[in-house]
Amino acid sequence: MQKPGVGISGAGCVCGAGMDLATAYVSMLTGERNPQAPQRFSTTHADTYPVFEILSPLPAPGTDAELLRTTRLALSAAHEALNDAQLDRELLRGLRVGVCIGTTVGSAMNSEEFYRDFRSGKTPDMAPIERYLRSNPAAALARHYQLDGPSQVVANACSSGTDAIGVGAAWIRAGLCDMVIAGGADELCRTTYNGFASLMITDTRACRPFDVSRRGLNLGEGAGVLVLESDAVLKRRGRRARGYVLGYANATDSHHLTAPHPEGRGLKAALARAISDAGIEAQQLAFLNAHGTGTPDNDKVESKVLCELFPEVPVVSTKGYTGHTLGAAGAIEATLTLVGLEQGRIPANAGFSQMDPALGLTPTTALTPVQGSIAVSESLAFGGNNAALVLGLEEHI
Amino acid sequence: MMEMRISGLGIAGAFGCGTRELRAALEHGGVKPSFCADAGAQSIPVYRASTTALERYLNKRVLRRIDHFSRLALLGAFEALEDGEYNFDFIPARERLGVVLCSGFGALSTTFRFLDSVMDDGDSFASPTAFSNSVHNAAAAHISMQLGITGPGQTLSQFDHSFISGVQQAQMWLEEKRVDAVLLGTVDEYCSVLGYCWERFLGIKPSTQMRPFASDSSSALPGEGAAFFLLRPQQDGSAGYARISGMECGHVRGSSPRLGSGAPLILGCEGYPDTMNMYREHLPADAAVACYTPLYGASPVAPAFDVAIAALALERGKAYPAPAAPPAETGWATLSSGSAVETLTCVDFGVGGEYSALHRARPCL
Repeated sequence: MQKPGVGISGAGCVCGAGMDLATAYVSMLTGERNPQAPQRFSTTHADTYPVFEILSPLPAPGTDAELLRTTRLALSAAHEALNDAQLDRELLRGLRVGVCIGTTVGSAMNSEEFYRDFRSGKTPDMAPIERYLRSNPAAALARHYQLDGPSQVVANACSSGTDAIGVGAAWIRAGLCDMVIAGGADELCRTTYNGFASLMITDTRACRPFDVSRRGLNLGEGAGVLVLESDAVLKRRGRRARGYVLGYANATDSHHLTAPHPEGRGLKAALARAISDAGIEAQQLAFLNAHGTGTPDNDKVESKVLCELFPEVPVVSTKGYTGHTLGAAGAIEATLTLVGLEQGRIPANAGFSQMDPALGLTPTTALTPVQGSIAVSESLAFGGNNAALVLGLEEHI
Repeated sequence: MMEMRISGLGIAGAFGCGTRELRAALEHGGVKPSFCADAGAQSIPVYRASTTALERYLNKRVLRRIDHFSRLALLGAFEALEDGEYNFDFIPARERLGVVLCSGFGALSTTFRFLDSVMDDGDSFASPTAFSNSVHNAAAAHISMQLGITGPGQTLSQFDHSFISGVQQAQMWLEEKRVDAVLLGTVDEYCSVLGYCWERFLGIKPSTQMRPFASDSSSALPGEGAAFFLLRPQQDGSAGYARISGMECGHVRGSSPRLGSGAPLILGCEGYPDTMNMYREHLPADAAVACYTPLYGASPVAPAFDVAIAALALERGKAYPAPAAPPAETGWATLSSGSAVETLTCVDFGVGGEYSALHRARPCL
């Protein structure tokens, strides 16, 4: 039986492609992208792995230096999403508002400065630890907006943002919340830069998802946030939803810590369950926003699954414009998917020029008009997590 | 909310491993912490947990590649499934079993081991093994890989309130019928950096003893361990240990847990004066309380251990002896040893003002 969709009343995004959602989408449609060497930190690698870094100052309220950058990114995107939904602190008061945010860096105690002093026998200052302890992204958002609903941080590696939106939608469906601020956030830092380099899955050139010459991913940073709202509150406020979360599912590979299952077992299950959750058929999809990192393994498995399940559906990976933003990726891509549906057009899959015969998948090669009101955004993650969201412009299909 | 039943328990802490050893510690009334001498720090008492028992389930060759954090999680998971009468050789409907793993801090030792590799060997020689195992969901991945579980998986991290988030997640999956059962676990580990933080923030000394109701100075001693629960819908099958009949969570800035007058409560007091003040402010004056943190120390796993103890007490219908009595000025009575219990509520306040109340009742058929 088809479940009711959960209304999306606002969306916000800050990433390497733009400091807000509209700007980011316009820049993608025009094909702009500019990955470059990290500016905020340095490393001693012989090669440079370009990144999609946010170099402009973060918009308020993401300016509090007492918080981790990840949390500040989440605050900036949440502010945009709440403005978009025409909500402020006053209007949130009296409502049961939950916060669910996905992250990887935002939940890790990994201050190099602190640890370097600690292990050399010094007495390091506690400021970095205090900053970490007050920066749990969900708790910090709840504190900033004085919210009293459930708050949760999803730490499912690179599918965290997708999962957080799925969890938020479930809270609304279950009547736990009137509204949920749901999304994901992650900052660029030396730890993830060195970590991904150690796994030898970062490219020394701009990433090329699904292309025959792809060599790896480019890291990025940012945040994406959706305001999810119950039908009753939307009606009471006299607002119409921008779109709906129609379905969501998550499944695990049970295969390897960092490599996807070769047959895409978990991804297939997540996609099938999300489609079933939404009560739709695969042929109703206008397009699919793929995980598409540009690593040989990810794109191989993802192509295999997409060619099998959705052979006629246009596919785009937006990571060629944003980089891989880890725990934020799924949430940023959900906001971009929503705009793609609204505009009825999706950007070219940046970096793609030649099909890999081993993949058999050709993503969008130019700005592409799409027909229909439903799309899927999917994420794969370390740990074998796979998650998929079905988004639509109408509540009932 | 849909009621859930606890049909399996897997626990490992300073008290030992499994329900038998926890019951023994409860009857005995105390656990002695061990002492950990940390770099640049004095030796402080810590409630450590051993994972030796994991060798019952996995061979040493497999274990060699798995860190202490994930070993704790695996031990809890295997124990809970075995306690729930699962046969590891044939777990039915592996795609209908969900895994929810909660952790306040994640795999700290491995996180710092990765930083060691960067600092010792340089950026270009960072350890890929340490990096991939430092990710918060690595422990959940090890569980799903070792047990062949392909259902949904969620790792949650919310400091002291990670566990209640996990209970909520499990309940949601069961209510939506996404799964038939959920393996819900909380795991956290001690490491030397944490010990240093403990000393700096709380002034813990070698002579400090855990006084959970202390309001004059901090007496929280760090702990570690794993507590796993096999959860099923209440209407599904046998009685199990206890029913989870209700749950509340929120923040004191906007609400307060609804606790009935005279209700028997298990309190998550860990010896932090700030949180003790919240318990004083929000608990009924005539509450009958027990606190068991002197058996396992302070950590994000402690609320899950509280729930495990409540489950054991409800299964036998009698409270366990409480290792510490509340101060007289609170007016609270001590939940007396052996007193009959039909319901129990575990209450937890975090230092940030978040609270949770998990209501449990005796099992029923």
